[in-house]
Amino acid sequence: MFLQDYWYAAAWSNEIGREPFARIICNEPMVFYRTQAGAVVAMEDRCCHRRLPLRMGRIVGDKIQCHYHGLTFEPGGRCVKVPGQDLVPPSARVRTFVVKEKYALVWVFLGNAALADEANIPDYHWITDPGWGARGTHFNVKAQYLLIVENLLDLTHLAFVHATTIGNAAVVESANVQFKRGPATVDITRIMKNCAPPPTYVKAGGFTGNIDRWQYINFAPPGFVRLETGGCDAGREGDAAAKKITLRNLNIITPETDATTHYFWAQCHDFDVRNQKLTDMLFEDVKAAFLQDVDVFEAQQESISRQPNAPEVDLNGDAGGLQARRILRRLLEQQTAAGR
Amino acid sequence: MEWSDAAGVDEVPEGEVRGVKVGDDLVALYRIDGKVYATSNVCTHEYALLSGGWIENGEIECPLHGTRFRIEDGRCLGPYGTNLRCFRSRVRDGRIEVALSSEDGA
Repeated sequence: MFLQDYWYAAAWSNEIGREPFARIICNEPMVFYRTQAGAVVAMEDRCCHRRLPLRMGRIVGDKIQCHYHGLTFEPGGRCVKVPGQDLVPPSARVRTFVVKEKYALVWVFLGNAALADEANIPDYHWITDPGWGARGTHFNVKAQYLLIVENLLDLTHLAFVHATTIGNAAVVESANVQFKRGPATVDITRIMKNCAPPPTYVKAGGFTGNIDRWQYINFAPPGFVRLETGGCDAGREGDAAAKKITLRNLNIITPETDATTHYFWAQCHDFDVRNQKLTDMLFEDVKAAFLQDVDVFEAQQESISRQPNAPEVDLNGDAGGLQARRILRRLLEQQTAAGR
Repeated sequence: MEWSDAAGVDEVPEGEVRGVKVGDDLVALYRIDGKVYATSNVCTHEYALLSGGWIENGEIECPLHGTRFRIEDGRCLGPYGTNLRCFRSRVRDGRIEVALSSEDGA
């Protein structure tokens, strides 16, 4: 069961064109394509006749034609043509989803279309803002989305999973961590003073001595985790002459099924923003780190699937993840209580 | 009574909690309505640091499983754990001092 009346990222904008493109979003098989005018259509990936996935069909003008018997659906989901008969049964239609393209992503609204308010798409403007360099990608992860949310809210794993990339022992040992909770948000602030810069920061920021690092993490349901991380020469915060870099690591985590996830993320930087080599280097470094995480997620999921009732112990670093799980549980309970 | 230096008063803003180490003891310092309080920083349930938690209505809520303790006397309000150790505290010359030997709470 997933939260219904929410926007979910379904694809990067450039993944969808004039060919059918299929993806499962929160257990709903969907097929996507663009009309001749470029608008994205999202509909059930299942013909209402004999359930062949529409992704096997073809795009004809603005419509999609089923591969099996040629039923043709207009972008609103209504069947407008049944080859070999004059009349179209009135119930011949497939469900469509409200779509919005924003921040280079295609968002679908899962639940009641009347509630689809674009203002509820969380802010990811750094991805498309010309004041930032940015590059993103999509991972299809064989693990439930909560494991990814939890991972991003507890950065104490950096020193272990990512010792060779973005982490070091200072992240675990000298961090002063504050957790703030709102009605449906979690904010975590980690400040690390006077620590050795990790390899990525040395490469990107040219730091030679110790740095002060910060990590601000924001969670909003269902799976939006936005990180701001940065560093400056130790003890010189606010000093314009000091070296300072700010990065945004933006995560848009969409459940695919109960045990798999579409993980969209982008890495953005506020310095030397037109330097594609730098953008690529930062992206590749985070990608290397995130692939280390994916190995962890998928092994965790195997373990969970094999013995779903095995107990877990919680540690100090889990405070953010536990709050996020609590928020999601409460929202799901509210949804169930409302008869959804 | 033996007083130990714990932190500067300005390190514990009004309405907030900070974790400090005094000798080998993990101590949580609070300032509520201007008054300073000190308890053990370790939740009696699963040993989480309470300084990562939230203050509401004179209670500290553990950040992991939500057990609440009354700050003034350490009384455990559930759902897990037992009462929390409390320490006497005082402010001298802008420093917070605690008396670790004098357990104060319930």
